[in-house]
Amino acid sequence: MNTRRLNATTLVLYGFVGLMSLIVLLPVIYMIMAAFKTRTSMFVSPLALPESLSFETFERAWGVGVGGFMVNSLLVTFLSVVVIVIVSGMAAYALSQMRGWVGQAIYLMIVAGFAIPVQAVLVPVFQIMSGAGLLNSRLALVLPYAAYGIPFTVILFYAFFLDFPKELEEAARLDGCSRFQAFVRVILPLSGPAIASAAIFQSVFIWNEFILALLVLTRRGLKTLPVGILDLQGEFTSDWPAVLAGLTLATLPLLILFVLAQKYFVRSLAGLGK
Amino acid sequence: MPQRPRTARSDGRLTYAAMLSPAIVLLSIFVFVPVALVLYGSLFRFGLTSAEWTFVGLSNYVRAMGDGVFWIALRNNIIIVVGSIVLQVGFGTLLAAVLDRGITVGNTVLRTIIFAPMVISSVAVGLIWLIILDPNVGPLVSLVKAMGLTPPRLGFLGDPSISIWVVLGIASWQYTGFMMVLILAGLQAVPKELYQAAALDGATGLRAFWHITLPAIRNILIVAVLITTVGGFKVFDLIFVTTGGGPANATQVLSTWIYFQAFNLGNTGYADAISVILLAIAVLLGWAQLKSSRRA
Repeated sequence: MNTRRLNATTLVLYGFVGLMSLIVLLPVIYMIMAAFKTRTSMFVSPLALPESLSFETFERAWGVGVGGFMVNSLLVTFLSVVVIVIVSGMAAYALSQMRGWVGQAIYLMIVAGFAIPVQAVLVPVFQIMSGAGLLNSRLALVLPYAAYGIPFTVILFYAFFLDFPKELEEAARLDGCSRFQAFVRVILPLSGPAIASAAIFQSVFIWNEFILALLVLTRRGLKTLPVGILDLQGEFTSDWPAVLAGLTLATLPLLILFVLAQKYFVRSLAGLGK
Repeated sequence: MPQRPRTARSDGRLTYAAMLSPAIVLLSIFVFVPVALVLYGSLFRFGLTSAEWTFVGLSNYVRAMGDGVFWIALRNNIIIVVGSIVLQVGFGTLLAAVLDRGITVGNTVLRTIIFAPMVISSVAVGLIWLIILDPNVGPLVSLVKAMGLTPPRLGFLGDPSISIWVVLGIASWQYTGFMMVLILAGLQAVPKELYQAAALDGATGLRAFWHITLPAIRNILIVAVLITTVGGFKVFDLIFVTTGGGPANATQVLSTWIYFQAFNLGNTGYADAISVILLAIAVLLGWAQLKSSRRA
């Protein structure tokens, strides 16, 4: 079309988007760059580039346990997403097959759960965890993360299953499959795109979840990245390069993963608008 | 067709009930029972770990009405909501429109960059900006000075008259790209013939954006505004990390005030009353979202 017309309008548009990209990029670049600085040069010349490429700050930050936080986050995220996908998949499938008001009522109840923010039920959730003796355990994160991920995932799967050709399920039933077997052997294997979309979406949120993790985890060995990196600040009072090195270690892997698979991330997260 | 056993119908019900039960159990324990408990607890005075509960009726709610910080917190939530709609949905729409039809080279790269902060945890975002805005070591203060201007004496986040606006800026840094991607998905569904027809009538550029693009994505814009509004009432991480609600409670929001009342000051019943108010707002917004998506 008009790809070759480099007029004033196009320049202005590129200027606008370019400026926005720069605003996004600069803090990230600063984080990585300043992680290589020394404490003195942070104070004396905040704008200057680092004097040398020493990874000593990164070693100090790693020593606080960034690696362990990462493993904890991976474990909690993986387990939560597995529970969310299985539990929501089963529920959405049952709802998509049920006729009548019972199914409708249960669906509405689950959708209503989507409106309730964990911020508004902090005290009771803490009381329940504490009463069950689950504080400082991974279960205390996996179970509520799963619960809060269910409504949106059920809505997503429900819409997907409704569009599913009924003949497939009937054919499986005629072949002697039970309803549950039909779900596991026929429906699930064909639901790859919906599962991937739900898994990416929930992973991003659970990986970054902070408030519940802050409440239920006080033992450093169990902390996930968001609560763990907060320790960096306490550990390295005014040792900003070490804090920034820790933040770089904590954020760069997911950023790289995002850049590599951005198409899938964008598709999955834009699904919230549907 | 094979003969169906007589119990097939009830057997189906049993299977479906079994498939539904894990979801219902999890939601009940962590969502619905807590809602009931928060309503109940808001009528009592009790500590987080104490067994002694004193019934106080609605006095926790009365207390909120007379608590200056509660009103500051509510006002700050509204500032974040309105500011986020203007900045995140506003700039998100402009960026999406430019990426959709304005430019043709480098779109994916630019989209990826602007969306990227969405995948960073708000704790990390908060800490990065805390350092960038630091009055002693932050590069922004040096930059402002180098430009011959005077930065706020107590730092950008330490000055109570501007701190909530600075937090709004950080939140917008993180989420504008998300709104852009959301709206871009809506724009890409607009049939290109609409623009061609409009061009024949002489509507191009800004006029096409105003008369074709905006009406066509009306529904997705409503969803974007609602998501932003809900997000603005839920904000916690960023404020907890950057200001902790300070200086002098100038940046408290409902969620941080609930947290401090319950977990630092031990006013658990009072925290529950504020929670109920936050809950009512969230449910109202959720209902609006449901209605708007039905119409879409």
